[in-house]
Amino acid sequence: MSNQESRKTEVTHAVEPLRAHDFDGIQEFDNPMPNWWLALLIASIVFAFGYWAVMHRYVEESDPGKVLTAKMERASQEAARRAGVLSNPILWTMSRDATVVKAGKEVYLASCAPCHLPDLAGAIGPNLKDEIWIHGSQPLDILKVITEGVAVKGMPTWGPVLGRQKISEVAAFILSFHQPPATP
Amino acid sequence: METGIRSDRVRIDYNDKIVRQFCVATLIWGVVGMLVGVLIATQLAFWQLNFGTSWATFGRLRPLHTNAVIFAFVGNMMFAGVYYSTQRLVKARLASDFLSTIHFWGWQLIIVAAAITLPLGLTRGKEYAELIWPINIAVALIWVVFGVNFFGTLRRRQEQTLYVAIWFYIATIITVAVLYIVNHLQIPTSWTHAYPIFGGIQDALVQWWYGHNAVAFFLTTPMLGIMYYFVPKAAGRPVYSYRLSIVHFWSIVFLYIWAGPHHLLNTALPNWLQSLGMIFSLMLWAPSWGGMLNGLLTLRGVWNRVRTEPVLQFFAAAITFYGMATFEGPLLSIKSVNALSHYTDWTIGHVHSAALGWNGFLTAGMVYWLVPRLWKRELHSPAAAQMHFWLGMVGILLYVAAMWVSGITQGLMLSATKEGGSVLANPNFLDAVTSTRWLMHLRATGGFLYLCGFLLMGWNVFRTAYGAEVRDSYIEVVPTKSAERALGLCLGLFNAPVLYSLGLIIFALGWGTLDGLPSGLCLWGMIATVMGAFLHQELTGGRWSDWYDRLLANALPFSVLTTIAVLIGGVSQILPTILMSKERITEGAGQEPYSPLQLYGRDLYVKEGCYNCHSQMIRTLAGDVLRYGPYSKAGESVYDHPFQWGSKRTGPDLARVGSKYPNVWHYHHMRDPRQISPGSTMPSYAWLLTERSEFEVLPARIGVQRRLGVPYEASSDASIIADAQKEAEAIAADLAVTGAPVAADRQIVALIAYLQRLGKVTAHPVVAVAEAIKSEGGDGVKAASVEASKVETYVP
Repeated sequence: MSNQESRKTEVTHAVEPLRAHDFDGIQEFDNPMPNWWLALLIASIVFAFGYWAVMHRYVEESDPGKVLTAKMERASQEAARRAGVLSNPILWTMSRDATVVKAGKEVYLASCAPCHLPDLAGAIGPNLKDEIWIHGSQPLDILKVITEGVAVKGMPTWGPVLGRQKISEVAAFILSFHQPPATP
Repeated sequence: METGIRSDRVRIDYNDKIVRQFCVATLIWGVVGMLVGVLIATQLAFWQLNFGTSWATFGRLRPLHTNAVIFAFVGNMMFAGVYYSTQRLVKARLASDFLSTIHFWGWQLIIVAAAITLPLGLTRGKEYAELIWPINIAVALIWVVFGVNFFGTLRRRQEQTLYVAIWFYIATIITVAVLYIVNHLQIPTSWTHAYPIFGGIQDALVQWWYGHNAVAFFLTTPMLGIMYYFVPKAAGRPVYSYRLSIVHFWSIVFLYIWAGPHHLLNTALPNWLQSLGMIFSLMLWAPSWGGMLNGLLTLRGVWNRVRTEPVLQFFAAAITFYGMATFEGPLLSIKSVNALSHYTDWTIGHVHSAALGWNGFLTAGMVYWLVPRLWKRELHSPAAAQMHFWLGMVGILLYVAAMWVSGITQGLMLSATKEGGSVLANPNFLDAVTSTRWLMHLRATGGFLYLCGFLLMGWNVFRTAYGAEVRDSYIEVVPTKSAERALGLCLGLFNAPVLYSLGLIIFALGWGTLDGLPSGLCLWGMIATVMGAFLHQELTGGRWSDWYDRLLANALPFSVLTTIAVLIGGVSQILPTILMSKERITEGAGQEPYSPLQLYGRDLYVKEGCYNCHSQMIRTLAGDVLRYGPYSKAGESVYDHPFQWGSKRTGPDLARVGSKYPNVWHYHHMRDPRQISPGSTMPSYAWLLTERSEFEVLPARIGVQRRLGVPYEASSDASIIADAQKEAEAIAADLAVTGAPVAADRQIVALIAYLQRLGKVTAHPVVAVAEAIKSEGGDGVKAASVEASKVETYVP
């Protein structure tokens, strides 16, 4: 066994060129660099030049912010097109639908309760149970306040955060504490 | 002469005492740094462990952890390894025992100073560069002592040719000095506070040029040098390839310095810098793996010993982790991958696989190899060393796996959209926090196991060293004079390989930056240079390797060439950004200076280390914009000294938190975050409600800000303080009306003033409020505060 090992070592030494100099007993082989490693190095350099050429030289540079803004505008137009138009009666109807109200309650507890309290009694934000409405009492008014926020009062803009569906659900949840106007 | 040395020989006594000292310091500070790490990791699972005190909060202790591990633990280990190996590789005793002693005790004093100041909240607010300015000066001085001692040793060397380990040490000493000094340029406002001279985007670029290259030249190049000495020594095998050493050394030194901007991908940093950060990171993959290959392939023929010998086990594992981390690094630097990974735990996992795997295990291997040689005794318990290996290995794998899962979960949850990309899928930020909380337990467990292994090493070393009779090693050498190999500075710098390389770099820079014809000419210049170099090499019969062999016998030209290679990247990126005018940066989206009260609040924000968990940078990504508002522009933070873009979102981004919530929301949220945000892991900042603001410091601070180019109007000290008080009273009045009465001079008021300003253009939203108080008394305040916060929010 040891014989085999020593023979193996000899063979390796015969093939691999060993540099003459040693440093505190440390020697160095003068092996060539592995080809796959060299290929990796060269490929990454070629990629770097290519990437720079495409992104910053020979093709018109695109501003990442503007690209994003355009993309998001398209997305929101598309979403608006697909969503139906909400009206006061529709929201009142939703507020009597137990599934919608339940979904709205979940959103309410996660996003609204810290300021308006879980029972809607109001603390940092105003009471939502009573009949006093600061920014309009119609369902669409409530929807608008949630979507756009009231910057001067510290009511956040929930539109892009929650989206139309969740906002309509949470509006329905709030409306479920109120009575719809008697039908004329 | 009493030992009877032959007359043609000289005896060289090594200074091993200093190595022993640095070894012991490595173990002590390693335990401290890791202990703090385990504590703050656990804080992320249990907020109660912030203990309700200011000095034990995550925001103040996280800088202590990073600084302790990088500069105290790895720093001391590096000095031990460098001093031990250099003396033997160049056959000379360290230049000066006095400098060595100063170096050791100076460094320990710096660490103690850091451990005291950071928990007190004395910080510069820049990651891994938090220490305050008097300590910065001490660090620079001690580093110079280290440099003088090291180069002095090279001067006295009996071994003319520099071994590859020495190349890496030279690159380390020079580059760390440059990085440290540039990133710590600042103007003091007091003995414990200063503002960095760079602001906003420039500060961001300089900071991450430094931050990234602290990783490169503090945690990587000296470690590679140490690997090149200790691995072949322990294995008893020659290094795999000298040629590979040359190519990977020079490519690492040249390329690393460019990669800093990969920490700022998809931010307000100009796109060209982001692209440079990405492509240079990708180009670093192969050079880094060159180091891994040379390490692992040196172990050829001794793999059977790796099964049984702890030293080789640790080395093999460390080099493997190095390979993994240097593959993951370029991967995370790809812009689209970074969009997912940035600001999440994935980054934290990445650095820990490198720090625990590469640095930590290399340290263990080195210490286990050194201790029997330094104390002249067999290691007390090889079995305990094996136990250490497996504890550490399981610890790392638990930690890193937890962070991968956690980071990718956070990235996916927070960026997910629905309804065609118009709405966030997970509107509540806290969902990402609560979903990954169990992983924080796992991570803390992994860290704890790693610490246990490390403690085992401490015990093992203590049992080995305690009571040992130490004596330093020595060798006898025949003095050599090899004047024929002297190259001189001129011949060292001006010769074919250097000139071709420089030409290629200059032409490439020209092609990349110039326009039109000059750019095209540079492209042809590049091609011509490459072809010329090939031809020249062919014609001269490959004598360039002789030149390199001669260069290695000449420390000065070698060091100068290293410096040039390092400086090219930094200068090419930082100079254009610094020379860019403020108008050009702002592009119409400029910032007005903070009001005195807001500035005071901002300094509190920095002091409490809020940036450790909150970013102030909305990236050009749909998820960010939907969640936090319009993406951030460079101009919006142009007067921020220091910038606070952050690097991790344990909590949400704050770039546009201003007037998102009413003042009283912030009051309650700072007092008890869980009252407002159930499930939050944020510490309670109740002391802000009782601690006083010291407005007397403001005139000096605003004076320094003005010197830094922030356009404050000249005003008397008294009026600055009065201005701050007036604004504070207005906010306190608003808080009182909304049911949170607090004195105007409490810190919470200043912090609220700052937070309510974030993302807004105008400086003085509450002046109208103050006027209202004067004219109408209390009742008018509410109406006026409504009026005042109607300041324009910035719209891109």
